[in-house]
Amino acid sequence: MTKSLLEAKNVTKRFGGLVAVNKADMSIEKGRITGLIGPNGAGKTTFFNLLSGFMQPDEGEIVFNGHRINGMRPSNICKLGMTRTFQIVKPFPELTVLENVMIGAFNKTGSTQRAKEIALDVLELVEFSDQAKMSAGALPVAGRKRVEVAKALATKPELLLLDEVLAGLTPTEMQKMIAVLGKVRDAGITIVIVEHVMAVIMSLCDHIVVINNGENIASGNPQEISVNPAVMEAYLGSDFNAQSVIS
Amino acid sequence: MIPQIKISHYIYGLTLLFLLSLPLYAESDFVVAVMPDGLSGSALLHVGILIFMFAYLSSSWNILGGFAGQLSLGHAAFFGIGAYTSSLIYVHTGVSPWIGMIAGAVIAAIVGYGLGFISFKYGLKGPFFALVTIAFAEILRLLFLYFDFTGGPLGLLIPLSSEYTFWEYQFLEKEPYYFIALGLMVFGIIICAIVSSSKFGYYLRAIRESEEAAEALGIHSMHNKMHAVALSAAMTALGGTFYAQYTQYIVPDDVIKIALSIEIILFAVIGGSGLVMGPIIGTFLLVPIGEMSRIVFEGGGAGASLVALINEEIPSGEKFIRYLEYLSSGGGGGLAILLYGVILILVCLALPRGVLPAFHKIGMKREGSS
Repeated sequence: MTKSLLEAKNVTKRFGGLVAVNKADMSIEKGRITGLIGPNGAGKTTFFNLLSGFMQPDEGEIVFNGHRINGMRPSNICKLGMTRTFQIVKPFPELTVLENVMIGAFNKTGSTQRAKEIALDVLELVEFSDQAKMSAGALPVAGRKRVEVAKALATKPELLLLDEVLAGLTPTEMQKMIAVLGKVRDAGITIVIVEHVMAVIMSLCDHIVVINNGENIASGNPQEISVNPAVMEAYLGSDFNAQSVIS
Repeated sequence: MIPQIKISHYIYGLTLLFLLSLPLYAESDFVVAVMPDGLSGSALLHVGILIFMFAYLSSSWNILGGFAGQLSLGHAAFFGIGAYTSSLIYVHTGVSPWIGMIAGAVIAAIVGYGLGFISFKYGLKGPFFALVTIAFAEILRLLFLYFDFTGGPLGLLIPLSSEYTFWEYQFLEKEPYYFIALGLMVFGIIICAIVSSSKFGYYLRAIRESEEAAEALGIHSMHNKMHAVALSAAMTALGGTFYAQYTQYIVPDDVIKIALSIEIILFAVIGGSGLVMGPIIGTFLLVPIGEMSRIVFEGGGAGASLVALINEEIPSGEKFIRYLEYLSSGGGGGLAILLYGVILILVCLALPRGVLPAFHKIGMKREGSS
């Protein structure tokens, strides 16, 4: 087994009586794209919030790169090298695309000039350079998602947490974004991606973790997951019998 | 980034030259002939001093309220801290207000850090932070009224020094104050320009736009906001010292009043908050309008009684004019203030983002079409 970059053990989060995440484990290996999937309300975004420091777990331990990050501020976690995007994208609407990305770039530099260079490089990588001077608030959904990824990339993370960056995109836009994510992985950045579009997950991910009702029900490579009975049950219900449909 | 209009730099440069040379001909026949009655010579310099001081204060506020988007309605508190610190030090020890000014800035910064810590620790935002700043300023005003060492409601008279030297920060003429105020304003612009183009400035704007997103990108929102309060407070305190030295007399109801806090914000918002030159433009537009309308309308009608006016048998048109004169003399609140208010409302309706962004838009359109 290769060295894991992020290790979540026994992580639990309760909202009053509701257990949103229940003793979930997750191990993210370096250099891979890991997909985090599950039905609506399974606790994917909550799990993301726990990993990135926007929520604090009630139990369990999260270790990133040798640092225990429970209870740390999101900004400090970002400084350690883990950056997230938001499902509901949060651009800085009054600023231009370039300035949005520059703000991410300041994570690793104090110089405005250097931040601008990093930002331009990142925009080149995500193929969005021609929109650099646009106001971020004026962009359509696809553009906002691209900026969201670019901002996170500009912080030069080791681990990138992507929360539904493909949702709401047209098939063409999706193809472009998938190409971008491939380039990001090739640049040596580990990715965890939450996604509903199965085709994307199956083709893009090296490893998949499935959660349902806040519990970790399966993990493995895409082939294993696609035939896993527990996963089928979670998505399609217990009465479902694959054989009966076929025959 | 907002494209820099080259023309604007020439305009700013020429304006600065004009302002630097203004004292030379403030009393010339031409100025006396052109300007309304009573607005030449030292009165003109006085208006200039007011403009520079408010432009500076408004710029100071802009760092917290404009860049960082944290609405402070209590900046008069920091103004008062500056005014009282330097003045008390001077009264009791005779140490130059220039030194006291630095002490005032340091104390204001510390108080600013404290206020920021308490507010942001408990996640106060928007209107709730604004309420805290109002409460803070009001409490400070009441404390300054209560305590004896501040002179209480009688205020603090800054003793005249035997000699008028730069070191004493006291002058018989208006000119030195004029240049100091101009210097303060230029200092304020430079600080804002440096902040605006620095990492700190970018971080403040990010926090203003979305605190969560900023935090996700490695920005410690609380620390950055606290730095913004402290810097803004320290700068405002320097203005307080200037005011104390200019008027030679300070009283809590004057230097820590809410009206002052509001005025500071007004100039920034009208000019364009969050932009380096926004508060400056706002002040240069509004203060002259306010002063002019006051001077123009304050001539006649003084002492007239409303009852006498109503009973007088003159044509109704003339009566209306006389009524306006009555208002302008301070009768029903003052026509000058009324006019000022109408202008403010019109500007807010027409240019909700401020005057300067409107100019930028025109500039961008011109760039786009050429």
